[in-house]
Amino acid sequence: MSEPQIDLTLADITRLEEIVDRGALGEVCRSFFDLFSLPIRVFSHDGTLLADVHETREICRYVNTLPKGRAACSGLVSEVKGIDPQDGVVVHPCFTGAVYRIVPIDYQGRRLGRFVIGPYLPAEVREVPRSLLVIDERLEAEKARAALTEMPRVREETAERLSDHLTHILDLIIFSGHRAFLTSQMHVASVRESYKVLSDKNAELQTAFDRLKELDRLKSNFLATVSHELRTPLTSIIGYSDMLATGIAGDLNEEQAEFVETIRGKGDHLLALISSLLDLGKLEQGNLPLRRELIGPRDLLEEVAKTMTPAAEKKGVQMKVQVEGALPPIAADPVRIKQVLFNLCENAVKFSPRGGDVTLGVRSVELESDGDGDGMGFVLMAAPKTALEISVSDQGPGIPSGEQQKIFDAFYQVDGSSTREHGGTGLGLSIVKRLVEAHGGQVWVDSVVGEGTTFSFTIPEGDE
Amino acid sequence: MQLDFKARELTIKLVYYGPALSGKTTNLQAIHRLVSAEVAGRLMTLETQDDRTLFFDLLPLSLNAGKGLQVRVKLFTVPGQVIHNATRRLVLQGADGVAFIADSQRTETKSNAASFVNLRQNLTDQGIEPASMPLVIQFNKRDLPDIRTDDEIDALASRGKEPVFKAVALRGVGVLETLMGLMEITWNRLEDEHRLSEKFGLTPGPLLAELERHLGVAEAIQRVSR
Repeated sequence: MSEPQIDLTLADITRLEEIVDRGALGEVCRSFFDLFSLPIRVFSHDGTLLADVHETREICRYVNTLPKGRAACSGLVSEVKGIDPQDGVVVHPCFTGAVYRIVPIDYQGRRLGRFVIGPYLPAEVREVPRSLLVIDERLEAEKARAALTEMPRVREETAERLSDHLTHILDLIIFSGHRAFLTSQMHVASVRESYKVLSDKNAELQTAFDRLKELDRLKSNFLATVSHELRTPLTSIIGYSDMLATGIAGDLNEEQAEFVETIRGKGDHLLALISSLLDLGKLEQGNLPLRRELIGPRDLLEEVAKTMTPAAEKKGVQMKVQVEGALPPIAADPVRIKQVLFNLCENAVKFSPRGGDVTLGVRSVELESDGDGDGMGFVLMAAPKTALEISVSDQGPGIPSGEQQKIFDAFYQVDGSSTREHGGTGLGLSIVKRLVEAHGGQVWVDSVVGEGTTFSFTIPEGDE
Repeated sequence: MQLDFKARELTIKLVYYGPALSGKTTNLQAIHRLVSAEVAGRLMTLETQDDRTLFFDLLPLSLNAGKGLQVRVKLFTVPGQVIHNATRRLVLQGADGVAFIADSQRTETKSNAASFVNLRQNLTDQGIEPASMPLVIQFNKRDLPDIRTDDEIDALASRGKEPVFKAVALRGVGVLETLMGLMEITWNRLEDEHRLSEKFGLTPGPLLAELERHLGVAEAIQRVSR
C-alpha cells in the first residue's frame, strides 16, 4: 500500500484556487460590482488573477488616449498588481486622484491571496489633482475634470466596511470549500485505510486457509498410506487364520477352532475398516473415478436384496423391494451404487428388530429448482429435471432429530456404545454421502424414534 | 510540526483524544468561545451523525509570536467511537502533542482505559514511541454525580508522569488550563528537538507568556470562574 497522496496531517490549504471555484468567485465579484459599482479583482498569493469584474472608466479611457498617460497608467496597474499587503490593508493612490484598496485574504493564519477594490475616488477629493494634470502635456484639464466626475466616489469608512464585508464573504466561501475538500479527502483516506486493514485481515485468513488445506492434504495422504501399509500384513493374518481354520496345519480342538475363528472375524472387521478408510481418503482427495453405465433400477434393488437376504434371515429380518411404475435406467457407477446400498442395508438389518422388514424402494421424482435461489426468473429456471430416489427403510429404534445431520460425519455414531453392540466402523454413512454426492445426488434421513428410519438418496438424470 | 523558514511560519498540531462522548469537541467549542476571534478561526466540524464526530473537528489558532514569527496551532479532535479507528489513525498522523480527555464518571473508567490503550497502539503502529509524545490528561465532567473524586485522581496523578487537569468543558472550566499545559510541554519538546529558540531568538518562557496573553487565558479563566 503506497502512502496516501493527500497530506491530511495539518489539513492545510496551500493555494486559494484549490479550494475556491473560480466561476463562483466571479459571480460573487459580479454581484459586488452590481451593488456598489466598484471594480474588483481577486489574486491568489502567487499573483494569479482569479476573478476580475470592472468597467473601463471614462477618465481611464481618456488618459489612455495620450501616449504618456497610457505609459503611466500601465505602470501604475502593474505596480498595484505587485503589491502584497504584508501588514494589512494598503490604500494605493493613482495619479488621477483615485485609489486602489488592496486587502489581504488570510485563512487559518496563512496568506492565501488578496483582492483589489478600485479605482474609486475618495469622497474628499474635490479638485482635479495636479498629478493628473502633469501626466501628459496634451491633457486637457476640462475634459479630465468631466471624465473624473463619472468615477464612483466612496467615503473611506464606507470603503473599509465594504472591504470587510467582502473579506467575510470570501472567508466563508473558503471555509466551506475547505470543509468540503477535507471531507472528501477524509472519505477517500478512510476508505483506503479500511481497505488496508481488510486486506491485511484477508491475507492472514488466506494464509490460515492455505495452511489448513495443506494439513488436510497431508491427513488424507497419511490415511491412504497407513491404510495401505496396514492391509498388507492383515491379509497374511486373515489368510493364515483361514488356513488354520480349514485344518491344513492339522486338526484343531474346539477351543482352538473358536479362537482362530475370532482372529479371522476380527481380522475381517479390521480389513473392512481399513478399506473404508482408504475409500474415504480417495473420496476426500477427489480421485475416486466413477465408471458410469446404464442400470435398471428394479434389477439393481432386487440384486442387492437377494445378496442381503442370507444375512437378514440370520437376524429374522425380511428384505422387501418396492418399485413404483416403469422407471428409466440411470447412469451410475454400479459398483459404487451397490456399495451405497449395501452400506444402508447392512445398517438397516443391523438395527432392525427380529421379525422386522427392511424395504428397498425406488421412484422417479422431479427435482425442484428455484433458479439461483432468489426466485428471479423462476419461471425460466425451474425447468423440471428428474432423478431416481432410492430409499432403504427399517423398523429399528430410529435416530433422534438432533443427531440426524451428524451421522454423516466420519467416525460418528449416535451412541458410542452401539459400535460395540452392533459393530461397524463409523465410516459407512460418510462414505455413502460422498459416493452419492460424487454422482451429483443428495442423501438424507427421515426418522421417528421408536418407529424406524428411512435413508433416501437421489441420483439425478444425466444432462444429455 | 511544520516549519516554513521563508514565511517565518510555525505550525503545531495538537490532537484531542479520548473515548466516545468524553467531551473532546466540547473542549474545542469552549476554546473557540473563550479565545478572541483574532486568534481563533472558525471551528470546523467535519461530518457528524447524531451530534457525534465522524471525521474530526478542527480549530485553528494563529498568533504573532513576535520577531516576525507566525505561530499556527491546529487543534484536532478524533472520533471517539471504537469503530472509527481508521479515522483516528489518520488524524493522529503528525501530532505534536495529545490531550487525552477522560470522562470522570466511574462507569467510564474502563472505556477511558480502553481508549488510552488504543492511543498507545495507534502511536506504536505509526512508529512513534508513546512515551515520547507530549501528553496531558484531562478529567472532564467534574460537575456530574458519581465521578472519581479529586482525592482519587490526585493520588493517581501524583504517581503518573503526565500533567492532569480537571474540567467542566461544557462551562469552559479547566479547558484553557489544559490547552496551555499541553502547549507548554509540546513547546519544550519541540525546543529540545529543533532548537527553536536558536533559530528564532525565542525563549520558551516569554513565548508561552505571550501565547497566554494572546489567547486571553487569564481573562477567560476569570470569566469562567465567575
